[in-house]
Order: sequence, then C-alpha cells, then structure tokens
Amino acid sequence: MTIPSRDGRTPADPPHQPTSEHASPVEATDQAAESAVATPPSGAAAAGVALRTPQETPPPPDDNGGGDGPGDVVLRLTDVVKTFPGVRALDGVQLEVRAGEVHCLLGQNGAGKSTLIKVLAGVHHADSGEVNFLGESFAPATPQAAMRAGIATIYQELDLVDDLSVAENAFLGHEDSRFGFSRRRAAAQKTRGILARLGHGEIPPRTMVRDLPAAGKQIVSMARALSHEARLIVMDEPSAVLAHDEVENLFRIIRELTAQGIAVIYISHRMEEIREIGDRVTVLKDGRTTAANLPARSTPTRELVSKMTGRSIEYVFPPRRPPLQLDPLLVVDGLSRAGEFADASLTVAPGEIVGIAGLVGSGRSELLETIFGARRADAGTVTLDGQRITSVGKAVSKGMGMAPEERKSQALLLDEPVYKNMTLASFSGFAKAGFTDTAGERRAAEKTADALELRPRDVNRPIRTLSGGNQQKVVVGRWLLENTKLLLLDEPTRGVDVGARAELYQVIHDLAERGVGVLLVSSEVPEVLGLADRVLVMREGRIIREAPASELDEDTVLDLVMAGSLTTESILEGEPA
Amino acid sequence: MSALSRRRILFGGAAVGAGALLTACTSNEPETNAQVNTNTGTSANPNAAAGQKVIIGFSAPAADHGWIAAITTNAKAQAAVYPDVEFRAVESGTDAAAQRAAIATLIAQKPTVIVMLPADGKELDSTGLEAMKAGIPVINLDRAFPSRAAYRLQIKGDNYGMGLAAGHYIGEQLKAKGVTNPIIGEIPGIDSLELTQERTQGFNTALAEYGFKVANRRPAEFTADSGQAAATALLQALPKMDALWNHDDDQGIGVLAAIKQTNRSEFFMVGGAGSKLAIDAITKDDSVLKATVTYSPSMASSAISLARLIGQGKGMSDLVELQVPQEITLASETITKDNAAKYAKLGF
Amino acid sequence: MTTQTAPPEATTKHERRKIDDGVLRNLGLVGVLVLLIVVGIITKPDLYSDPTWVKNNFLTILQQASAIGVVTVGMTFVIIGGGIDLSVGAIIALAGVWATTLATQSYGAGGMIFTALIVGIAVGLVNGVLISYGKLVPFIATLAMLVAARGLAAQISGKQTQISANSTINSLASERLLGIPLLVWILALVVAAGWVLLNRTTFGRRTVAVGGNPEAARLAGINVKRHHMLLYALSGLCCGIAAIMLTSQATSAQAAMANLYELDAIAAAIIGGTLLSGGRGTIVGALFGVLVFSTITNLFAINNLSTEVQNMVKGAIIVAAVLIQQFRYRSFTQLFKR
Repeated sequence: MTIPSRDGRTPADPPHQPTSEHASPVEATDQAAESAVATPPSGAAAAGVALRTPQETPPPPDDNGGGDGPGDVVLRLTDVVKTFPGVRALDGVQLEVRAGEVHCLLGQNGAGKSTLIKVLAGVHHADSGEVNFLGESFAPATPQAAMRAGIATIYQELDLVDDLSVAENAFLGHEDSRFGFSRRRAAAQKTRGILARLGHGEIPPRTMVRDLPAAGKQIVSMARALSHEARLIVMDEPSAVLAHDEVENLFRIIRELTAQGIAVIYISHRMEEIREIGDRVTVLKDGRTTAANLPARSTPTRELVSKMTGRSIEYVFPPRRPPLQLDPLLVVDGLSRAGEFADASLTVAPGEIVGIAGLVGSGRSELLETIFGARRADAGTVTLDGQRITSVGKAVSKGMGMAPEERKSQALLLDEPVYKNMTLASFSGFAKAGFTDTAGERRAAEKTADALELRPRDVNRPIRTLSGGNQQKVVVGRWLLENTKLLLLDEPTRGVDVGARAELYQVIHDLAERGVGVLLVSSEVPEVLGLADRVLVMREGRIIREAPASELDEDTVLDLVMAGSLTTESILEGEPA
Repeated sequence: MSALSRRRILFGGAAVGAGALLTACTSNEPETNAQVNTNTGTSANPNAAAGQKVIIGFSAPAADHGWIAAITTNAKAQAAVYPDVEFRAVESGTDAAAQRAAIATLIAQKPTVIVMLPADGKELDSTGLEAMKAGIPVINLDRAFPSRAAYRLQIKGDNYGMGLAAGHYIGEQLKAKGVTNPIIGEIPGIDSLELTQERTQGFNTALAEYGFKVANRRPAEFTADSGQAAATALLQALPKMDALWNHDDDQGIGVLAAIKQTNRSEFFMVGGAGSKLAIDAITKDDSVLKATVTYSPSMASSAISLARLIGQGKGMSDLVELQVPQEITLASETITKDNAAKYAKLGF
Repeated sequence: MTTQTAPPEATTKHERRKIDDGVLRNLGLVGVLVLLIVVGIITKPDLYSDPTWVKNNFLTILQQASAIGVVTVGMTFVIIGGGIDLSVGAIIALAGVWATTLATQSYGAGGMIFTALIVGIAVGLVNGVLISYGKLVPFIATLAMLVAARGLAAQISGKQTQISANSTINSLASERLLGIPLLVWILALVVAAGWVLLNRTTFGRRTVAVGGNPEAARLAGINVKRHHMLLYALSGLCCGIAAIMLTSQATSAQAAMANLYELDAIAAAIIGGTLLSGGRGTIVGALFGVLVFSTITNLFAINNLSTEVQNMVKGAIIVAAVLIQQFRYRSFTQLFKR
C-alpha cells in the first residue's frame, strides 16, 4: 500500500510557515471555522436540520451504524466548499467514511454529489475546508494522483477506452513496461488475478472492452480500481446501467470488497438498494450535508426524503393564476423512442404551464427534444395547432421554441454578441432580400432585454461575459422575438443563481399570461410544483403520474421519482396515470 | 438567345453528368504525335524482317507531365509498327510501391522483355533484379538502377549535357553580341530532384567557361501555372535581363505567358526537353524563345525497337557487335530556327 | 450543477477586446506587410529607387495573389462554417482542364468561363452532399475529392498540358483597367462580395452560427446540413473563378495545376484570424494573409534567395500567427497550467 506524499497544494499548509508540521492542524481548524462563519446564515442551521458543527471533531461513530462493524475512518471531509462562477456547488460538506463500510450518498440532482465525487477524484480542487484521507491531508493535483493515493472512482458513464483490451484498460495510465515496451503478458496475468478476485475470472483479459456488455465494462472499471490498490472506491449510480440480476452480482462484489477492508461510497437514487447494501447514509442538499451517518437500514424513507428536500433555497414563485380552459395547443400522442422513453402522451393548452418532473435518465430531456423535432420519433405523433411536427425547421416555423438543457453547448454562440444570440432564430425575419438588418435586430433585442430585465442591458457584449441567469434570459428571449406559441424549457434554472431564478419564474409566468403554452422539465421538484399548472411525473422512460400541481406535494413527487425499479409495477397498478 | 440557352443546358448537363459525358470530351483531345521509327523496309534494314514473336511488358508511372505521357505514347506507337511484337502495358500508379506491385504481376506473365521507366531508380532496383533473375531482360528507361545486374540495357537522356548545351548556346550568343557582363536568369523544375541539380550543374559549368554566371533562379514545378508564377517573380527581380534558360518546355508555356503579360522582350530564352510547341515557336521565331535543348521521349521508341532485337537475339545492324550494347545515352541536342525542321518530328 | 467556466468581465475590458478583434489583428498583418516591404527597400535599394518598378512590383504582388486570394475567400467561408476543403487545388485543376478541352474551347470565352464555374460548383456540391447527407468527415470527403478530381482531370486531359487558344481568356491576365490588372479587379470584387456576404447577409450569419455552435443553430431552426452543403458549393464556385484566372495566366491548364493551393489557402485564412474550429474569421484578414505570402515570395525573388528558406519563413509565420491567437484567447496562467 502506498500512501502519497503531500504535494504542497493543501490550503492548510502555507509555504511561508516555517514549522508547518506543527502548525498546520491548528491552521486547518482555524480556516475551517472561518469558512464556516463565512457561509451565509441561510445554510444548514437556518434550515433547522440536525447537523454536527465542524467544531465537534471527530463526529462520534453512529451507534446505529452498519451492522458489519465499521473500521477506522479512512476519509473525513470537513466544511468542504467548492464554488463555480455563479454557483456554490459545495457549501460546507461533512462526510465520514470508515474502512469496510458501504457509505451511501443521497441527494437530489444539483445537491452537489457530482462535484463532491470530482473533488475526491482529483478533477476539482476544494476552495476551502479539509479533506483527510488515511490520516493525511488529501488534495490530489490530478485524477492520476487521486488513483495513486488510493481513491478510485467508477463513473456512471464508464471512462473506459473501447478499443483497448480489458487488461490494457485495467492498467491504463500505469502500464507495466520494460524499456518502453508494454509487458502485455504480465499485465494480462495480473488482470486475470484481479478479475478472479472480483469473481469474474471468466472475462478474458485480452478481449476488447467494446465487445463487453455494460455489466462487464463495470467490472473492468472495478478491476482498474483494484489495480491501483484502492482503499476507497466511489461508485456513481453503478446500478443505473445494470439489469436486475446484474445488480445482485454487483452487490456480491461490493460485499467482497468491503470484507477486504475497502471502503465504498455508493450513490444511488434507488431506496431499496440503499437498504440492501448500505451501512450508513449521508444526505446532501444544495451543497451542504443535511444529515450524516444515518443507519441505512433503519432510517425511515420519509425522514431521508425530508432531509433531501429540507427547504434552504427560497423559491419565490409568482402568484398562481386561475387556470385557463382552452383547447390543447400541443398534442403528443403515444410518442416513443427505443431505449429513451415509451408511449408518452400529453397536451399543453395556450397559456398553460405543464411541468415534467423526473431525474436525469428518466427520458424527460429526450422527450422534449423529440417533441421539438430534434430527435426522430420511433412511434407516435406530435401536433401543434393541428399540424404535424416532424423536424426542428417545422417546429420553429409553426411557432415552437426550445431552451435546451445544456445552454453553452446547445443554445449559445459564446463569442457572438447578445443581440445576435437573441435573434438566432429570427434574423431571417428581420432581413430584407437576404441582407441582415442589424440595426433592427439590435432595437428588437434591446426591447426584449428591457422586458427580461437583462443585466447588463448592453446587447453588444459577447454573451460569454453574462452570468448563467442572464444567458438563460437571452435564450428565452430568442423565442419571444419569434412570436412563439409554445415554449419548451429544459432545466431552465440550471446554473442560475437564486435572484435570477425568481426573475426567470416571473418571465415564464408573463409568457403564459400572454397565451404562450409552456412545457417545462426540471429535476427540482419544488420548481415544477411551484411553476406548473399541471404536473407529469416521469420515471424510466414513462409518464407514471399526471395531476394538477395543487394536488401534489414535494414528498409525493419525490417518492414517485425515486422509487426503485422493484416498486415500479406496484405504482403503475396502484395509481394509474 | 436560343443558341445561348441551348449551350447553357449543354454545359449544365456536362457538369452534372461528369462521368457520362467524359468520353465525349476526351474524344476531342488533339491527335497524338508519337515519335516512331518507321524505317521498317526489309530491304534497307534486315532487322526489320519479322522474326520470332516478342512480348514486351511495359511500365511507366502514371504522371501527369507531358514528357512521361509522351514516353508511354511513343512506346505504344513504336510497338504497333512491328507485327511480331505484342505490347503489354501495366497501370503503374504514381509511386514506387505501386509500380513495384504492377511489375510483380508483369513478371508473373512471363513477357520476353520488360521496358520500364522507374518512378525512382533506387527504389525499383530490387524489382529489376527480380525480373532479371526470372530470366526476363530488363530495359531501363532514363532513371538508372544502382545494380548493374538489374538491367540488360539502359537508355537514358543526359541531364548534365542539357545544362551544358543550354549554357554553351547562351554563352556563344552573348559573346557574339559582345555582352560582357550579362544578366542571366534560370527557371529550373522541381529543385529537389537530382535531374534538376544535374541540369543546373551543367548550365553553371558551361557559363563559367565564358566567365558568366546566373543572376537569379526561381524554381517552378514542371507545370505551366507554376512556370508563370516563377517567371513573373524572376522578371520582377531582374528588370533587365540578357538571357534566360527554362529547364522544361511544359512549364515553359507559363514562362512564355508571363513574359508576354509583362511585355518583356529585351532578352532571349532557351527551353528544355524539346516539346512540339517549343519547336513550333522556334520555327516561327515570334517570341523570345530562340532555342531548346533536347531530352527527348523518343528514347521510349528506341527502347521498344531495341527490346525487340534483344528478344529476338539480334544486334544493331550498323554495329559489328552481334548483340545490343548495354548502355545508350542520348546526346542533348540544341534545336534552333536553323535545324528546327529536322527535329520537328521529334517534338512531343 | 454544471461547471461554469466563463468569468464575468468588466465592460471596459470587453470594449477593448472588441477593438482588438476587429482592427488590431489586421493592423498586425499590415505591420508584417510593411515590415516585409521595408526589408525589401533595405536589401534592394536600387530596385526600390525606381518609382515605375515600385508601382509595377505592387501590382505584381497583387496579381500573383489574385487566384489564390479568390480561393482563400471560399476557404474562409468553409472554415468559419466549421469545415475544411482540401480539394480546392484539385477542383481548380478539374475546372481548368474541363474549360480548356477543344470541345469547350469551341464555345468561346463565355463557354469556357461558364464551364469552369459550373464544374467548380458541381464538384463543391458533391463535397457538400457527401459531408452533409453522407455524413463523411469534411477532412475525409475533401481528401477523397482531391485525389478523385485530379484523377478525373488527368483522364480528361490525357495528362497533356491543354493550351488555351482563346485570346479573350488569355488577355484577362495581361489587360488592365484604370492601370490595374483585370485579375486584381476580380480579386477585389470577390473579396468585396465575400465581405458583404459574410457580414451583411443572412447567409453569412448562418455561416457563423453553424460553425460556432451547430447544435444551437439546429435548435434555432437553421437547416445546418443544407448550409454546410452550400458552403462547399461556394468554395467550388471560387475555385471555378480561380481556374479561369490561372488558365489565363498560364495560357493553359493541366491536371497538376494549382498544386498545394489547399495548404496556401488554409494557411492564409488561419493567419488572417480564422479559427480552424469554426465560428470566427474575417475576409479582410484572409486577404491580408494571402498578401503576406505573396509579398514574401516577391521579397525572396528580388533577393535571389532559395525557395527552401522561403518555405521555412512561411511556416514560421503560420506558427507565430496561431500562437498569437492562442495567447490572446487564453490567459498566460492557463497556458502554463496545462
């Protein structure tokens, strides 16, 4: 077992400190306390959530914790903060993982799980707070350093090289070599040993990873983790890509790993998996730890869900309007795409806001893009005002607009000025005989910018200099210029700070007031409930519930969204959509 | 009007149906003027009498230069003259590797003799050896093999000699005019080729005998448009010039165009290779082109005639030897207005 | 939460950067041009002391830049649109050869010009269809076209140099209008038209959109595939024009003509500030890029320096231009961190 030397990047270890050996722990606590003070008071404490303060270190092991008898603490995070421009992704995270345990990490989308994983994997570096791994301060400069230190991460999207063999993947980045020639035979031999340890000696080390099924690829990922002598393995929704019986096999492997003293951080939305494999649970909400070290088996689901939803962001929704009763503008009938969603039917009336709640992977974004004509439907129809929509061109010309999920990669020309982004869908309309009318475009863009309270209001700035919220306003404004009748919004408040959110909500409401139909997708349940007149709940490619927003509450929707695959049938039978 | 619209349709269709109408276009290319030895009267030349059947395999790289095109044309035309020769040409690609593969298939067909213009003499040396080992005499055209054992006969032009001839012509002319310190320009072909370097060496050697040297040289790429570009640059660099040697008559089309476009005429120009166009221009004497030094693709015609003799085990009838010699190097001749008529049939 | 990387910037900074983008880059290229000319004056004072020669020299530099300049305008559009066209030299050869067959020449100058333009557009369209609808990578599709079009040109010409017997075509290269060569006028017209097309028309706006972010363009209702196809047709048209210009200069056409024009055109576009990944570029910058190359050729010619050194200098200028671009768009810290 190799323990990495510190590379001097630890924030608690300033280079000017002459007796750093002695002084750094004190420094660390000071800094931690400072950063705790620096966090806004609207944090965890204000939300009334039971949470150990960072001063009480170390948190005592939970008596009701895992029955497997937890070993020594291998990983401890204290007040870890990570900010991106406009977003506080981690806002004081506490986490304690012990050797030989399966520690489950629970939280909604956007709660900070992915960022936390990336901090552990060496992709991101914490701005402040202390990460302690195996008794040493841990700040890997690169993912390779994190792996060498003993933390391996198995991502949901497996990061394997399809065109290399199993053995080459397992030892990728630390290949055995002699005089620069890779020692393929030795690597294959070692890989065979590791695979046997995982109970999968039947996978030939020389097979191309491309030829393996998803479950096999996952095992190769784990083999890679073991090739590094990992002491902690982070698994991000490992069951999402697996069939039911494969999950059983995964659990068997996890149990074998923990029996060897390896710690596992397990992330999943499926409650029954957490019950089955987990020892302890830590819940994240808006980048903060809202509950730590709850016993995985005995904590009631209600309690876990309430820790996940405990209000800390103030959602300010405009007052609800009386619902309009009009003939539907958009009719989606039996829309299906293999592997993404099936048999989706819904309607949106003019002036109505319809919200779709669902997790990433539930097929919600794919459904939205298919309605917009950006993906070809396998079956089913989309009609707007009685006209079939089969392509984006048709959708736009008939009055449909979309603000896609990934703003930067799907919606914006980052180098271009605001007004050109605003008129991206309508500049041809301004043009005369093929010649653009930039003055006219600027005037129209300025009017829209005023209506959207765009800040700064200067429409000549490159859009990359705007904040996320204001960029999103431009994307929405694009469709205001097009006289859009139906607006599709995919995660409209992703990466948008709280103040700008309220303004966006107001914009969406104003649009509906003007008679625009809105179909909205969000993984933030309160947002869907607060904005929409009617709510559809999607899980695993199907719409499993449809009801007026007033008849649903957050816990009910979260239960529906998160329920494990085992209970799918019972939900469908018990509560037909 | 109607004629115009019909034309439009015709051209539009031509452009769209590229492949279909290709044959219609190619059929309009000028009739080829192959260089053929027609001295086949049996009374005058006993070797012309039909002998045993000879299969001549032929390979030359598929280059798009006029000179190599002429090599292939000449070989084919010369073979057609003999009723006892069967001519088998193989598509040989544009590089040495492709030609090696092409000749391998040729060897497998067991022709009596192989005539080849190698893409590169060094790289095809082993292929020559292979054919010779298989008992097929190889006739190397123009680009020598390093191994003596790789060929039965080598017939080539004289690049150094070309340079010498051009240099001597220019030197004599300038001396006759009484120019003491002349400004001489040079437009070589692709500068990295050995043949270009040999030509330039010969040129410089000859000029040095008169105490002259080249004032500026701008290489072209054996194409007319590159010749035009190089000549334009050279003319701009030398506002006054006395003589110019352009290594290659194909690129010379562009060189002459550039000279015309800049209205320059104070100098005279010597060409290289001896194309039909150049010989015509020299005959007409209506441009600065006054001479060209030959590097004739007629060597391909001669190679076929000699291949036939080798195949039939005959010697050259004017020589005492009973067999064809092993090496023949063509002399580079200087074509001027005075002797142009004599060389007209060798223009390609 | 998604990773956000764009830091908000102060307004004044972006105002300054805007000036950078539009003018400074071109000013930099003008600076390089002036420098090259100054070097010419220093090294060849005797030539530069003759005003007639100086005037002629500038016109020669412009004239020798004209055909490649026209090609570069088309190439700039393709690259801004997110593509690349490696087949421009081959298209010129095919268009030039097709326009100079005896059959085409029998239709006179109009027929030759018309044929060259149609062949150029048609080959460009084939490129476009292969890339947009055949889903070939532009690099592969146009590389294949490079080989195939030269092959077809060799087939049509029978590997011969085809002489243009048409005096109208041939005189394009020698005639002058208001003291300026006709070919330079053609270049000026194409550059002006290209500038208007890029900066003042919906076509240009679409070009920037499909190159800058094809997915965003698609989701905004722009027909990205059709636009890509049209860009290659536009490049083909420019090649057709250049084919006529080159044919008139060389009074002939052949399958090997316009050798490596693709590299010169791409390099000129790049040093003119066109981003190889698409979405950004200027016509004026591309023109300056061509002029820099043409001036280097001229400088080396008047000093009787070898073309090998000339090519090394060209390479160094390309690298320097791209490095400067990177320095301007990334901060120093980022450069040294990675």
